[in-house]
Amino acid sequence: MSGFIFSVSLIFLLSLVFSASLYLIGSFIAPKSKNTSDKLAPYACGENLPAKKFQVNAERFFIYITYFIIFDISAFILTTSFGHGFYPIVFCIIILLAIVTLLPLWRREE
Amino acid sequence: MPFLDIIVFPGLLFLLFLAFFCEWLDRKAVAKLQNRVGPKHTGPEGILQPFADFIKLLSNEDIIPAAVDRIMFSLGPILILTLSLMPLFLIPIAGSSALVWFEGDLIFIMFVMTLRIIITFLSAWSSTNRFSMIGGMRVILQMLAFEIPLTIAMTGPAISARSLSLSKIVQFQASEHLLLLAQPLGFVIVTICLLAELRMVPFDIPKAKTEIVKGWFVEFSGKKLALLRLTEDFELVLAASLMVSLYLGGPIGPWQTQSVLYFFTKLVICILILSNLRALFARFRIDQALKGAWKYLTPLALIQVILVELMPMVIP
Repeated sequence: MSGFIFSVSLIFLLSLVFSASLYLIGSFIAPKSKNTSDKLAPYACGENLPAKKFQVNAERFFIYITYFIIFDISAFILTTSFGHGFYPIVFCIIILLAIVTLLPLWRREE
Repeated sequence: MPFLDIIVFPGLLFLLFLAFFCEWLDRKAVAKLQNRVGPKHTGPEGILQPFADFIKLLSNEDIIPAAVDRIMFSLGPILILTLSLMPLFLIPIAGSSALVWFEGDLIFIMFVMTLRIIITFLSAWSSTNRFSMIGGMRVILQMLAFEIPLTIAMTGPAISARSLSLSKIVQFQASEHLLLLAQPLGFVIVTICLLAELRMVPFDIPKAKTEIVKGWFVEFSGKKLALLRLTEDFELVLAASLMVSLYLGGPIGPWQTQSVLYFFTKLVICILILSNLRALFARFRIDQALKGAWKYLTPLALIQVILVELMPMVIP
């Protein structure tokens, strides 16, 4: 187990060092940018639009993320379910029924 | 795990070569299908063009707009590149076991892919631009939706091989049969989902050039854009090599032989499938893509898993 932790952190550190060194090389060979106010303005296709933080619609986003987490966890349960006979099949059928019944209901509520 | 392996042959430099080669192959194939020439002048048949593009972007002036959140804006490309490079070390390339493997690295790869989506959204949000924001929202909607059928369809090979490790799945295919023959439906689902995860043309909604001018890429320039372009190449390699090692047997050739050449040939075939699909379709709308993922791909992936579970009971 410790070998696995060591090797995974080794490849993570290697990838991190690789990408950070590319970034550093870039900052060495690139010319310094001469900043003007037009250059530092946010890109807006030539229109005069000020920079503004946009709010994410958190309520609908939350529902979406909850759906994602439920289905991701069910997929994770499926991956660890081999060798248990009929139970994974029953589980699959339950998820299938949930999709078939819940998605139209969710649409009707909007 | 010798150090030279990680740095040179199945490791970092080889993966870098594969990334640039795959981008060249993809661009050339799409250009041929669209009756264009494609990259031509840099090197033989333009094979050095992606590398030249990368060097050119790396040496460009890097503009950081005044309104951005500087820390996340600078860290984002580095982290995304890290997270797209890391899972490639878990893919069995040269032999039937990868450089780094452990029981459960398939789940680890999926986890890293999900983490990458979240960091993509954060760096889109940190660049404080309306196009970036819309692009970031679309990234998170589309890629999380397609993650689910992808994960469920990937459990098919895991259940067949009775293991959650990519290397074990490849070894199972060496001793038994190719999983493409047993699970063709799963292969189709995984191909479609990987196309969406790569944000290639039928699913290039997050960076649709004609609607939201490259989406969340808008504010990035210079070295950051170079890193993001390199990330896309690594993602292409990762997608194609996932298809290869889950369904086509990785580096396993006929008569129990193993060679990196078999892996390379299968990788080229998978890239050609992906770029053929890219040239064939037009862009979907975001609601069409999400509807397709939830209503059709997820039930089909579940049916595939049910079939995989039922198969050994019906045919002993």
